[in-house]
Order: sequence, then structure tokens, then C-alpha cells
Amino acid sequence: MKHLRAINQKARRIEDFVASQDDDVVALQGPPGGQQNRPHVPMGCSLVFSPGWEVDSAGGTAGLCQPVERDLYDCYITCFWPAQVPDHLNNYPDWTAKCAAATKDWRNIDLVFP
Amino acid sequence: MIRLFFLTAVAAAAQGTLLVGTWPHTIQVIDESKHQIVDKIDLTTGIPGGMQLSEDRKSLYVNTIEKSGFEVVDVATRKVTNAFALNEPNKQYRIRGGAVDPQGKFAYILFRTIEKKQDRFEVSKETKFGVVDMAQKKIVRTADVPKDEDQPGFGFGGQMRFSPDGKFLYVFRNNIFIFDTADFKVVDKIELAKPQIPGMQNIGIGGSLDSIQEPGMLISVFNSQDPVVHRNIFGIARFDLIKRTFDFTPVGPSTTGMMGLHVTPDHKKGYTVAFNGQGGTRRCEFWEFDLASNKLARKQEFDGRARFSLAISSSGKELYILGAGYDVEVYDADTLRLKDTIDLHADTTSWIVVPASR
Repeated sequence: MKHLRAINQKARRIEDFVASQDDDVVALQGPPGGQQNRPHVPMGCSLVFSPGWEVDSAGGTAGLCQPVERDLYDCYITCFWPAQVPDHLNNYPDWTAKCAAATKDWRNIDLVFP
Repeated sequence: MIRLFFLTAVAAAAQGTLLVGTWPHTIQVIDESKHQIVDKIDLTTGIPGGMQLSEDRKSLYVNTIEKSGFEVVDVATRKVTNAFALNEPNKQYRIRGGAVDPQGKFAYILFRTIEKKQDRFEVSKETKFGVVDMAQKKIVRTADVPKDEDQPGFGFGGQMRFSPDGKFLYVFRNNIFIFDTADFKVVDKIELAKPQIPGMQNIGIGGSLDSIQEPGMLISVFNSQDPVVHRNIFGIARFDLIKRTFDFTPVGPSTTGMMGLHVTPDHKKGYTVAFNGQGGTRRCEFWEFDLASNKLARKQEFDGRARFSLAISSSGKELYILGAGYDVEVYDADTLRLKDTIDLHADTTSWIVVPASR
């Protein structure tokens, strides 16, 4: 098909559309070839600012800790989760002071009204 | 002969202690023989993060998270003997790695700072070495890290160890950097991507094997490839911190979903967890290796939680599954079956096994 060349506007649009199907541009794209045929989760496991709404590496929820409170603190330390939990380092250092085991005592976690 | 038998029997019965750092600011002391919490150590500077034992195993150094604190615990009495925080009201330290020198006087850390200005937080762009004087309770010396190794974002970090005389500091990354602790000049760099070792390349050094540590040695798991067909191999690496030489003992081909190897104190068996599948269809298996013949001796499927870590008891007779939760599952290493569950009533952050005696 290389001998065919678009000569009018509509043909060029068709050509552009076909070309766009080859290299899909994804928001906050990672390195090329890194995540082929896998769900694209650009900002890590959680896109929304609420613990318990993250996804696992397969894009589902079956691989997450159950119940979700089980890895609340672990995710906070290992992933830092600056948006999903209160700001422990600066403004709310005691938001977990009354809750040692998130699964059992999550009702004691401090409510924070920024 | 009777005395020898008695000593052997005592040694066999000797069990160590499992120390688990938990929220909000506690280290729970678990008697390995009873599977019971026998004591709790309260920390004054916050959530326990990394823990490190001194060479003589008499002191425990704890790094706490939110205030970038240090606490020293006397292992015998379980009392905190020193505690302080590095953070200042308008300046915070983010610690990327650290180790305490053999004399226990200084902690060497890699850090970045966050300074609160009038209208913004200013995050330092460069990682630095810091020498923390444990008596003065502050950073007394800083130095730059090699500029071409300081990556934006994650910076320069890695597992750190000292030579037994404390003169050299080893930082284990994709290469091993050896620094003179007097001036932080790089005195040597050991390439791991293309080392001078026949049949091996892209060597990766994993976590240290605390159960079989020896003075002057870093014993760790490693992964490597052969340069011809790029087959991945894992095994046990022994790095001599005095001579700066490696000894690799390959165990077998590594798979994609496999945890680090944990070795029994007699060096005869190694345990790991292998994963098949992912998400909701993931299955977890204990793998037991016979390290004399480097053969996979046994497999046993178990109910693995979504995220966990594997540890081995000081006697090598039990395996611990812990992390991402409030309990420690104890598995019998002989049967690979669940034996007990220890409820900590607090979420775990870190842990270390302290043997009864060296």
C-alpha cells in the first residue's frame, strides 16, 4: 500500500486515524515495553484519594489485602500514601494514636478535617 | 561425654526471641519457644522502622519513622538506653539507608532533607551521607554521595555494612561501593553487572540472611544470569568484608515469583515461598531446598495472605509469615503446616530474630 498517498483532507484524516491505532498514547506513560498487555495504572495502585479503592497488579481487587484495613498502615509506610491518609508527618501525627491494629480498631482512627 | 551431651541438649533447646516492631510505637518481644508475647518495649520517638543488631547482639538499634528517630535497646534488659530524633521543627530528614558502626558510637545514614520555608517546603535534590553521633544525638558530619549515582526521586540508597574495623563502609546497590569512613571517598567499586567471575553477570545482592551471619561476612541471597543463554540462577553469596572477595554457592534456577531464601543455622536447609498466578488466582507454596545437594526437596501449598514476608526462627525449626497485618503465623519447618498464630493486636512494621546465643 506504500504506493498510495492521501491527496485530500478526508484521506489524510483516515491516514492519521490508522496511524494513531499503532502507537497508543497513554496518560503518564511509563517506559516503552514495560507494561505490555497489562492494565495501565499510572499513579500506582490507587487513583482515588481513598484507602480501599486501590487495584492490584492485575487491575482487579482480588489480590488486595482483605479486609482492606489489613494493609492500611503497611501501604502508608511502604507506599507513603500521602493523599489517601492524613498527613502523619506534619499536621496529624497522632491520627493513629488510638488504633494499633487497623483491622480491629479502625473506628478509633482519628477523623481529620483539613 | 555426658557434659558434651548436656551442652548439645541445652543448645538444641535454646530458642531465641522474635522482636516485632508494631504500631503505634512498640516493639513486641516474642518468646520463640512459647509463641507468646513476653514483653513490650515502648519507643518514645514513634513508629519503629528498620532494626539492626550490634555485632555482639547485645544492642538493638531502631530507626523510627515520623521523626527520623534513633533508639538503642539493651537486648538483655529490654530497656531503651538512648533515644533521640533528628527532625527539627522546620527541618525533616528522610533516611534512605543506614548502619551503625562496629563500636556503636556512630550511625551512618543516607538522607535527604525537607525544609519548611515561609511559603513552601524545599526538598533537597541531593542525597548525602550523614554521621550521627549517638552520644551527641545529632548529625556531626555530612558528605556528598557520588553524583552520577544519585538518582532523582529515589536517590542513592541500599544495604549498608561496615568492615569489622569500621574503616570502610560498603553500600550494596547494582554495584558495591566501598567508602573510606574518614572522608567518604570511594576507595573501590565492585561491578556486579559484569563481574570478573566466570559464567556470571547481572548479579543482584538481596537481603541479608540473619540466621547464618558470621563476623566479618555479609551472607545474602543473590540472583545472577549466565552470559550465554541468560538463565537466571539464585543462591547464597558470602562477601568477605575484609578481603572484599565473593563466594557464590548457586542453589537453582530462579523463577519470577519467588521470595528470598532463608537458611537454617546448620546451613543444611533453605526455605522460600514461590508464587504461581496472580491476583485472585495466586497460589503460595513453601519450597524447601536441600543445600547439601542443592535440590528442591519439598513443596507445600499454604494459604498465603495478599502481602506478607517470610522469616525463619533462630532454631530453623519454624517459619514465620508476617507483615501487612496484626498476626504472626508460625509454620512447622518439618511438616510445612500451620502450627500456631500469634496475635499481636497491632500492625507490624519490621522484625528481627535474636538467637539465644552465638
